[in-house]
Amino acid sequence: MLIEIDRLRLSLAGVPILRAVRLSLGEGEIYGLLGPNGAGKSTTIAAVLGLLVPESGTVRVLGRDPRREPRAVHARLGVLPEQGGFYDWMTAERYLGFFARLYGRSLSASTLGDRLARVGLMPRRGQAIGSYSRGMRQRLALARALLIDPPLLILDEPTNGLDPRGRRDIHDILLALADGGVGILLSTHLLDDVDRLCRRIGIIAEGRTVAEGNVVDLMGANSSPQRFRLRLTGAPPCAEIGNVTILARDGDWWTIDIDPAWNPEAVWHDLFCGGWPIAEIRRESGGLEDLYLALTERPAA
Amino acid sequence: MPILLIAGKETGELLLSVRGLAWLLVLSVVLSGFGFLLVSDTELSLLDNAQVVYDMAGIITALGCLLALIVGVDTIAGERERGSLVPLLLTTVSRDGILLGKLGGVAVAWVVIYALAAPYLWAVGSTGQNLADGLLGLALLGTPVVLGFGFLGMGLGACLGTARTGLLIGLIVLVLAASPLLLGPSLRQSAVGRAFDAINPFSAAVNAYDAMIIDSLPIAAQVVNLAVTAAWFALALWFARASFHRIAR
Repeated sequence: MLIEIDRLRLSLAGVPILRAVRLSLGEGEIYGLLGPNGAGKSTTIAAVLGLLVPESGTVRVLGRDPRREPRAVHARLGVLPEQGGFYDWMTAERYLGFFARLYGRSLSASTLGDRLARVGLMPRRGQAIGSYSRGMRQRLALARALLIDPPLLILDEPTNGLDPRGRRDIHDILLALADGGVGILLSTHLLDDVDRLCRRIGIIAEGRTVAEGNVVDLMGANSSPQRFRLRLTGAPPCAEIGNVTILARDGDWWTIDIDPAWNPEAVWHDLFCGGWPIAEIRRESGGLEDLYLALTERPAA
Repeated sequence: MPILLIAGKETGELLLSVRGLAWLLVLSVVLSGFGFLLVSDTELSLLDNAQVVYDMAGIITALGCLLALIVGVDTIAGERERGSLVPLLLTTVSRDGILLGKLGGVAVAWVVIYALAAPYLWAVGSTGQNLADGLLGLALLGTPVVLGFGFLGMGLGACLGTARTGLLIGLIVLVLAASPLLLGPSLRQSAVGRAFDAINPFSAAVNAYDAMIIDSLPIAAQVVNLAVTAAWFALALWFARASFHRIAR
């Protein structure tokens, strides 16, 4: 395991922030860390980075205690903090070179160029960072996190401020990294990102992990059906399929429910193979958002 | 090596950023203003050369402390507010290494002030009289006082979190410390004034300038004043280190 957190409890200035957090992240996995503002996500990340001292519980990162061996952990860790600050007078190339040397690596100009090309900043490599847009800064922060080819990445809102194409580019980079065995802890509010990238998630509410596991399993356990609207270009070959319940039809649009225990992707595959002429799919309810809202709902006062 | 890298970055920030250059420009203007006043004002121009060089050395030390304090607070609290400190903390460089690298930036600021001040000391001292004593005093006693204020700024920036609060408290300390420049000699001779002088590093530096420049005493006679400034440097270093190691994010 790249990250193992169990029963983590942590207070700041006497105020309990984390009460019982658990989390486990393996190689090649993208893990979505979700939770409302103030739930404790950033504090959890700070504990993972060895910046905060837990009161109790265990935190192991890359097999080490980040508080006792911070430099050994940081040497193999790529981090994109929520607030990415830069030295505005430096160029992107100089900035990455500076950080590479802090890690004890002397990267050639062509290697630095490759790193910048990877995040789409090659054409702006010689410009002062002060002239960069928010999205470009976010890309540069990702380039910095990837500088040392870390086996573990911790990303706090990595697609903040990016346009749709930029988000898609970052998604593709992260998916490729995960395919190459890099473990990624992704803290975000954007459920679309989680939907596209993460197989496993952990949801924190009021300092406690209220759910952790495979996304499909969690949605299945939530027990509310997943409702979709499908636009079909013709009649379906059969009216009933095991995990799908047809609820209504309005012209070309068919409203269906899928059993919560089933992964919609697998159902679409079955339907396509079964000859369903699907032209468009829209989720109506029962997705990650419903799960998130159900698990993070505050009890009425 | 990482210490030099960080010091180089801090130097670049000071010498290449608009903010850093603006500070150096302000400093030059202030030195020019004081220099002009000392040589052109009817009453001040009656002071002897040694007295004028002594006054200028005190002013240079005060300006050095002010800039060191500002750079010190900004390099920690300012970077924290801008979000550029955490990536630095997450590298493999130790916190002590980062702190020393950042002190390098303060030291460069002081070297620049020192270099800028030399021609002013030369000019107000009527073409170089007492210049050597002035420069020696600034190097040996001004340096630990100024760098100590740099560490104080870093420590305040680390423990208070915001640059504004750190700067405000640092300025209060600086005004108190530099009060020997503001107080008349009679107040400094009172019991409270003498007690304050005995522990105040700024007083130690100014008293040593007095002895070296005006009374022409050798530097070897300034052991107590050197010890006070060195103690101040060590105390400020301890405070900065303790505060910086506590930074969580």
